[in-house]
Amino acid sequence: MNPAVQIAAAFFGSLGFALLFGLRRRYLLPASLGGMLSWGLYLLLDHLLSSPFLACFAASAFSTVYAELLARLMHSPTTLFVIPAVIPLVPGSSLYYAMSFAVHRDMASARAYGSQTLELALAIAAGMSFVLACRELHTRRKS
Amino acid sequence: MDLTRSEQSSLLDSMLEMGELLLDCGAEVSRVEDTLSRLGAAYGAARTDVFVIPSIISISMEFAGEKALTETRRIHSNGANDFYRLEKLNTLSRGCCVEPLPVSELRSSLDAVAAGHKPLRVILGGSALAAFSFAVFFGGSIWDGLAAAVFALAICLLQEYLGRTELNTAAFNLVISLLIGLGVGLLAALLPALHMDKILIGDIMLLIPGLAMTNAVRNMLVGDTISGAVRLAESLIWAVALASGFMIALMIVRALF
Repeated sequence: MNPAVQIAAAFFGSLGFALLFGLRRRYLLPASLGGMLSWGLYLLLDHLLSSPFLACFAASAFSTVYAELLARLMHSPTTLFVIPAVIPLVPGSSLYYAMSFAVHRDMASARAYGSQTLELALAIAAGMSFVLACRELHTRRKS
Repeated sequence: MDLTRSEQSSLLDSMLEMGELLLDCGAEVSRVEDTLSRLGAAYGAARTDVFVIPSIISISMEFAGEKALTETRRIHSNGANDFYRLEKLNTLSRGCCVEPLPVSELRSSLDAVAAGHKPLRVILGGSALAAFSFAVFFGGSIWDGLAAAVFALAICLLQEYLGRTELNTAAFNLVISLLIGLGVGLLAALLPALHMDKILIGDIMLLIPGLAMTNAVRNMLVGDTISGAVRLAESLIWAVALASGFMIALMIVRALF
């Protein structure tokens, strides 16, 4: 798969979700850029570290920082930006292949894809929570 | 700000309404608790206790020298995101914390937000674009993308139509994935140039509770254990329903061709 095509597709995929969720027009560009950047980072790190889990964790953490900064800047909730940014990381294809192999009674492959799906979902959640926990510590120390 | 007793109870009612709307737009439970507590303080409550999980909001408010007021509301939300209303609620609650609106105005502002809806054509366009992009993203051709976009429109219309019936989310996912799986399977059987897997993956991205699952794990990691557990169990059931629908469709298509 050509990385440039994929990164462009990530941009439009995030844009599609931002529209679907009813994001305001002036937030559309920064939100979709978040999706594109997070996928670009994922590809780069996966290439360097050859660990999808770590790459996904880092890309998700990056998305959360990006969303936090934008939310501060635009005085709006972080959710508006973090969700479009992590959308390309959501393991839709491994979930599908897990199901498809299960239908074809190839249980070993189904299990492999199934556990990959859960692993990536966990990586996304852990990346986000890591940043949120750091922020919480920071604000508590200030107050 | 001094409120009469009846204003206090009407404020409590508005706060429940705001909490319900927030959850309905996909706001985090911790955020809902935080917003409602601040709102209570802004209106002069000496103490505001808010407890939120995805299916219940309970608020207890105490004004100086008076008996506490407590109300609970049962919530039915499926964790879907609606940034359009979420942002309006955010603006409203921020404004109220700085300069509280009179209680009756707060109520009418909330009703106005509740009535607002994002336009259907934006939702249709967004879903089609998302399905197209993700079909291509996961290695499909332009044609696979276009087919995924067409089925995304069908998903949206089904959601609009079936959403009005009282079908629960699991049953809804089962029906919708069965229909979409059959449609895509038949189309790919008739047009062998199309890749059924890529088209379905594009459309699955619209349906999988990946975000719900992520949010559930995140809730648990940041300490909202009950909410996280409830959401995780729900989203796993939704994913199983979705997978079952697709699996039945794939089996039928395989048996036919």
